Parts: sequence; C-alpha cells; structure tokens
Amino acid sequence: MSKQIRNLGVFLACCYAALFLQVNRLTIFQADELQDDPRNNRQVVRDFSRPRGTIETADGVVVAESVDSQDQFKFQRTYPTGDLFAHVTGFFAFQLGSTGVEREYNSELAGRGLGFDLQELDDLFVDRERVGNVTLSLRNDVQQIARDQLGQREGSVVAVDPRNGEIIALWSLPSYDPNLLATHDFPAAEAASEALNADPEEPTRSRAYREREFPGSTFKVVTATAGVERGGVTEDSPDYPVQSEYQAAGIGTPIGNFGGGSCGGTLFVILQNSCNTAFAQMGVEQAQAPGMTATAEAYGFNQEVPIDLPDPVRSRWPTEVVTDNPPFLAQASIGQNEVQSTPLQMALVAAAVANDGKVMRPHVMREILDDQGDVVERYEPSTWTTPMSEETSRLLREAMVSVVTDGTAQRLDDEVEGDVVVGGKTGTAQIGSDPPRSHAWIIGFAGPEGEVPHVAVAVLVEGQEGASEQTGGRVAAPIASAVLAAALAPPAAPAGG
Amino acid sequence: MNFAARRTTELGLLVLGTMFVVGAYLLATLPDDSPIPTAVGPLLAVTVGLPLIMHLAVRRLAPQADGMLLPLAALLNGLGYVFIVRLDEAKASPSGLAGLQSLWMILGAGAFIATLIVVRDARRLERYRYTAGFVGLVLLLMPLLPVVGRTINGSRIWVSFGPINFQPGEFAKLALALFFAGYLVEKRELLAINRAFGPIALPDPKHLGPVLIAWGVALVVMVMERDLGSSLLFFTLFLVMIWVATERASYLLVGILLFAGGAYLAFNAFSHVQERMELWGGFWDLVGPVAQRPTQLDLAAFSMADGGTAGQGLGLGSPTSIPVVESDFIYAAITEELGLLGAAAVLVAFLLMIGAGLRIAQQAATAFERLFATGLTTLLGFQAFIIMAGVVRLLPLTGVTLPFISYGGSSLLANYVLLALLLRISDDTATRANERIAAHQMTEVVG
Repeated sequence: MSKQIRNLGVFLACCYAALFLQVNRLTIFQADELQDDPRNNRQVVRDFSRPRGTIETADGVVVAESVDSQDQFKFQRTYPTGDLFAHVTGFFAFQLGSTGVEREYNSELAGRGLGFDLQELDDLFVDRERVGNVTLSLRNDVQQIARDQLGQREGSVVAVDPRNGEIIALWSLPSYDPNLLATHDFPAAEAASEALNADPEEPTRSRAYREREFPGSTFKVVTATAGVERGGVTEDSPDYPVQSEYQAAGIGTPIGNFGGGSCGGTLFVILQNSCNTAFAQMGVEQAQAPGMTATAEAYGFNQEVPIDLPDPVRSRWPTEVVTDNPPFLAQASIGQNEVQSTPLQMALVAAAVANDGKVMRPHVMREILDDQGDVVERYEPSTWTTPMSEETSRLLREAMVSVVTDGTAQRLDDEVEGDVVVGGKTGTAQIGSDPPRSHAWIIGFAGPEGEVPHVAVAVLVEGQEGASEQTGGRVAAPIASAVLAAALAPPAAPAGG
Repeated sequence: MNFAARRTTELGLLVLGTMFVVGAYLLATLPDDSPIPTAVGPLLAVTVGLPLIMHLAVRRLAPQADGMLLPLAALLNGLGYVFIVRLDEAKASPSGLAGLQSLWMILGAGAFIATLIVVRDARRLERYRYTAGFVGLVLLLMPLLPVVGRTINGSRIWVSFGPINFQPGEFAKLALALFFAGYLVEKRELLAINRAFGPIALPDPKHLGPVLIAWGVALVVMVMERDLGSSLLFFTLFLVMIWVATERASYLLVGILLFAGGAYLAFNAFSHVQERMELWGGFWDLVGPVAQRPTQLDLAAFSMADGGTAGQGLGLGSPTSIPVVESDFIYAAITEELGLLGAAAVLVAFLLMIGAGLRIAQQAATAFERLFATGLTTLLGFQAFIIMAGVVRLLPLTGVTLPFISYGGSSLLANYVLLALLLRISDDTATRANERIAAHQMTEVVG
C-alpha cells in the first residue's frame, strides 16, 4: 500500500502543479490579453470607483466633476452645465461607455496618464489618489453666447483661435443632458439612451464636427485660394464677365446666380457679391480640377480632422466626380454638387486665411493639472496643413474683410467694437425649393488691427425659410458677430467662482 | 518518542496563522473610512478563539496527533472568512453571509471536538462499515426524495428540513470513505486476484461488481442530481481506494475506461453535461469566444488577470463582479486580491495538508486506518483540486466547495469532521508506537 500512497501523493502534487501553471497564465502571461478583452469592463468599474478629475472651461467654470455618491461606486459624475458642453465633455457612464473629452482623456482624468507614472513611487508611501483635471480651451461665456444666439434653431457654432487651434466655442443644437446618461440608476440611463438614440435628430451627435452639409458659397473662399495659389488669379485679373449664366464645357445645367441676376468682376468684387458664375468659371478655367482638389485637401477636406474628440467626420471634396467633368467641377466650385463640410472644417478654412495660410491642429484640451495644481500635460500647438502661402492669405484676408465692409457679410461686425478687423464670407445652401429652404452659413475672423486675427468662426443655421444670397448674411451673421465679439472680449469672471 | 512536542508546534503554527488572518482582516477593511474595523470582536472570536479552543481540545483528546493539519485548516478557514466578510461588505445589500459563516465555523469547531470525543479509537470504526455504507448511500440519494429534496442553482443536492438547508452529499463522502476502507480491507485479497486477458492482466470479472456499483451510483448522482463535481469526486475516491487497497493498477485502467465511457454517454445524452463542456472549451482557452456574452468563468478569468503577481490588495479588487463568488469562485477572488503569490500560497497550504494526511496514512498501523486516512486525504485533496481547476479552467467547472475556504455550512462541518478523523488516526498511531516502544523496553528489562 505504501507505494500506492506515495504515488497518489505524487499524482496530487502534479495536479496542483498544473493548477499553479494555469494560475500563472491567468495572472501573468495572458493577463494583458484578458484585460484587453472587449467584454472586460473591470477597468471601467475601477475608474468608476475612483475619484476622477474635473473638466473646466478656460474661464474657470466646472463642466464635469465627480461628487460623492452613496452607492457601490462611491462617485457620481455630474455635469453642472447640463447640455451646454455635452458635445465636448461627452459623458462617462457605466454601461453606455464614454465619449468626448471623458473618453479622449480618460487615463488622465483617472490619474493614469503618462506624466503620473513618474510620481507612482511616491504613491506607494503616500495615501493619495491622484487625478488629472482637464482645462478646456473653450470659454463658458462664449459658449453661452453661441447657445443664446442660435436659440431654438438647429445648427452649429464653432469658434477657434487661428493662432494655435484652440477651440473657443463648439455648440450645436440639438444637444442633450449628459447627466441623464451618467446616472447610476442604470435602467433610467438605459431608457434615456434609447430615447436619445431613437430621436431622428440625433441629439448626442455633435453637428459641429460630426455632421456635414453643403457649404454653399462659403466654399468660394476655398475656390479663391485655389485660383490664387494654382490658377494665377490676382486682385486685378481676371476680370470675370458680367453674366447670368456660366456653362462649362460638356453636358450639364448651366450655373446661374441667385435670383437670376448678373454679376462679374475681379476677385474682391465677385467675393463681395458671392458671384456664382465667376467662381464656377474660376474653378473650371483657372484653378482646374487638380488645383481645386489639391487646395481642398490641403484645407483638410477628405481627411480626418486631428481634433482631440472622438470620431470626427471627414469633410468631402468629390475628387472622382469633378475630375474630367467641367460641369460638375463648376458646381463643386461654388460649394454644390457633392461638396460637404462640417462646420468645424469651415471654421478652419477661415482660420487658415486668418493665420497666414496655416491650419493649426484643432483641440479642446488646453492643459491638464494634477490635484496640486501642477501642469502635467499641455497641448502644444502644431500646424496640421498649409493650404496657401502667407502672401495668398494676406490677399484673401483683405478680400474677406471687403465682404464685411462692402459685401454680403456686412452684419458680421455689428457687435464687434473697437479697432478690430473683421472678415467673412456668407453662404446659402439651398436644400428645397417648395417651399424654398436653405442652410444659412457664415465663416469669418476678427482681431486687433495689424495682428493675426484672434478668433475664427463658422456658423451654420439649418433649414431656414427662403433661399437667397442674403439668407446667410441675414440669419447667420448676427450670431457669428456676437460670438466674435464675445471671444475678443476678455473672459468674464466665472459666476460664483 | 515524544509526540507531545507536536502540540507546541501546533500552537506556534496556529499563532502564526492567526496573525496572518487578523492582519488580512485589518487590511481588507482598512480602505474603508472607519479607522477601527467595526466587527473586530466577532472576528477575533472566530479566527483566534476557535482555533485555540480546538487546539486545547486536541491537547486533551488526541495529544500525540499530527501538529500541521489544524493550523493549516485554521489558516485556510480564517482566510476564507476574511474574504467572505470582505465580499459581503462590498455588496450593495449585504446578505449577512459573514455572520452565518462565523456561526458555521463555531458549529464546525463543535463538530471537530465532538468527533474527537466520540471516536476514541479509529480502529473501532471498522465495525460500522456496512452501516456507514448504507448511511452514505442514503445521504447521497437523499436530495432525490420528493418532499425534502431541493434544487438550488440547477443542482438537486440540497435537503431542507424547515428552515435548515444542507447538502447531505458532503457527509455522504465521509461515510462512504469509511465504508470503502472497511469493505476493501475485508475483500482486498480477493479483489487483488488478476486474470490474464492476453497480454494484459485485468481483475477477475466476478470481482468487478463493486466497481460497477460505484460507477452506477456516480452516474446516478451526475444525472439525477446534476452534481458533476460530487460524482467525479465520489468515483475518484473509490478508484483511488480500491487501487491502494489491492495494489492493482489494473483497477485504475478499468475505472478510467468506465469513466470515459460514462462521460461520453452523459455528454451525448444530457444537455447540462454538454453545457458544462461547452462553457469550458478546453484548458488552453482562458475565456470563451469574444462574440458571446461573458460567462461566470470569463468574469473569473478577468478577475484573476487583474491579480498579477501580488494582487490588487485585500479589499481593493472588484471580485464581486463574479456571480456567487463567495462559494464556488472564492479562489478567483483570492487570486485577484492576493495575486499569483496568494493563489500559490493556498495551493501550498492544500498540498501541505495532503502531505500531512498521506503521511498519517503511511504511518498508520492497521490496513483499515491506512486506507481510511488515504480516503479522507483523497477527498480533501481532490475536492480542492476539482473546484480550483474548474475556476482556472483547467477542467470543466463542476460546482463543489473549496474546503475550509468557501462559504457553506455542510461543507465546513464535514471537513472539520474529516480533519478530526485524520487527527484521531494520527494520535492512535503515535500512541500505539509509544506503547510498542514501552512494551519493548519492558521486555528487555524483564529479559
């Protein structure tokens, strides 16, 4: 019997050795693989039960914070400003995941960012849970003006600092209240999410950077850039003929002007009047398809915008449609055909003209501070693309300023006071003719004389009644003007802060 | 030989073990804001008081017994208790499991002492082998009875009398181990006769009766009670014991073939067996397919992956994401919070218990005691292995409790009885060895 008992011992020891090996695989060798399993929400649960940094606007208003909760997660994420910054902060919810800054800067907010690792050794001895507090480049006062000005109309307002790419305002209606999704009452969160998802207006999707529309005449700034950069267009030539229709070579409907009028002239004049026939001709005959394509893409069309928010939508320049098809190229040159742009992209067009031809990488995070107030990460501005030379940008800046002084965007400087240069371009994208409806656009910039403008803006008001070249100037310009004025003013002291 | 020194060893080890348990308890409750853990009184009572009382009982009732087993059991039991407290507190609505478990621990200690009092000589148990066999079978099949039997979590292994639920199967194992030991000692000469079938020697078919009966009962348990774990454990127990008794490996061969056949039949005939196999899917995959919802096993794997080398720290992990973690899956919780090191320590503790148990078997004076001790150790060692292997996906998951650690009254009581029986055999052996030496010396003096 003793031999058998010994063998039994050996066998059991082997069984336990196998157990030990398997535990090794689970805890060490394949642990990363298991932690990366998409069904593994333990990281989320952990983040949920830890303190989490705040998200603050540049002017010191807290837009997301964690407060003590009396449940199993210890902390409840709240969004004191409700829907105002929903598309920027996103939400941090248990079952629904997270979006926006909450997702992009999750590690930092949870205190797991790169800069924190250096300090981990301290943490072994000091009982302190580190978090990162994100300061946005957005300003609460500007954002509020954007919301108030747009009112109950659907649309978007984007304001960006052309010099460094900081987003100052990013508002679109409809928006939503992230508190409804972040609640720990999971059935309620689920119901709120289903209701939002069922809404055909998609309130959770920021129209400012995740929806594209026909840019209409605001796109003529792109065409003008291509004309100057790649088609030999100058301030004085060519002098486009005054006509009511332009027919490019090939079969297609001729391009007409709004209201059937006739127009023409040199660059400044046709931009001021937003002359369809002249820009169609410039696109087809001066810039030509390759030039238009190159310039549009240099502005960021057909590319993913490198913004620090999730899932930006690419703006579209239909390269394959306009190549070897002059009638379509003519349409595309005035922002029709299949040209589509996000409001963010159009703001970047204005910003490029403002910033000596360079598009800076747009971003919403300005810096991340630890709980001691030390900066652990700061967004370093960098150039994304360069659609034009400094010289071209100077010419176009002057042209856009003349649109405000003498053209369709005269209301853009209504609210702006002092020694400030304002430039802009309106647009009206007709989306229906019975009854006539259109998207009203405006893009523009403003800043102290002699300096690179401090703010560029794009406003889109969707589905407005009527369709005339005046619509953009009438509807969108006052909003943009108020936003420009607010962004140029020094930040208001935070309420109560 | 002075076996009494074993008590000093035992006390020393107990002190070490309890220090660890109390420390673990403090750590587990520290992350909460309260500076002094709230329930420190009951904790000290069950984790320090009970082992001490059991130690004193052993001093009095089995003074020369092995000194390793009790400290190891107390350590595992204390660790389990700390985890049950910690897991219960983490729940949104604490279910009071910790309080119940401490009650079971008191009853377990009572059962331990009562066993030492009642069983004064292990050899005398041999007489009750057939009674034990009958009682074992009745206990094993009791959950199938119409009025008292209960199905909980899909397994019909419960019996309830009024408000009290228990798993008779836990006690059936002990009774059956006693029966096998007695029966096999009686018949082992006969059973050891092999007949040559061509090149291989197999047991004479007419002695295969008991094997077939054991196999049949195991199948009944598996099919009717849906208790794969107990079925596997029961059949393993029988095979090991008949092999050790007869010293014929051929029984292992026959047994494994029968097991394979039975498993194949059961897999094809019964959906719950198929489900278990599909949930497992082989020891190489640590989780099920990504496309499917995570199962309890997957959640356990995620939990253990967070453990790493040294664990998340007691009270700092989130093992409550695993459903019913405090019974079958408590090993995953330990691995998450104490890491590979803690998980390995538990394995080592069980291995040490197995070693101590087998040493007792090896040294026992009579064949019955040797066989009985082997059976008891096999029960402990394999039950722990089966459930831990299930949790870490080495084997298909078959729900049995982790001895001394999991929450569960029947299991705790039965395991303390098992422990007392092993200590009793150990004490008997030592006493008799001393008597022999004394008698020898006496003869010399007389001669």
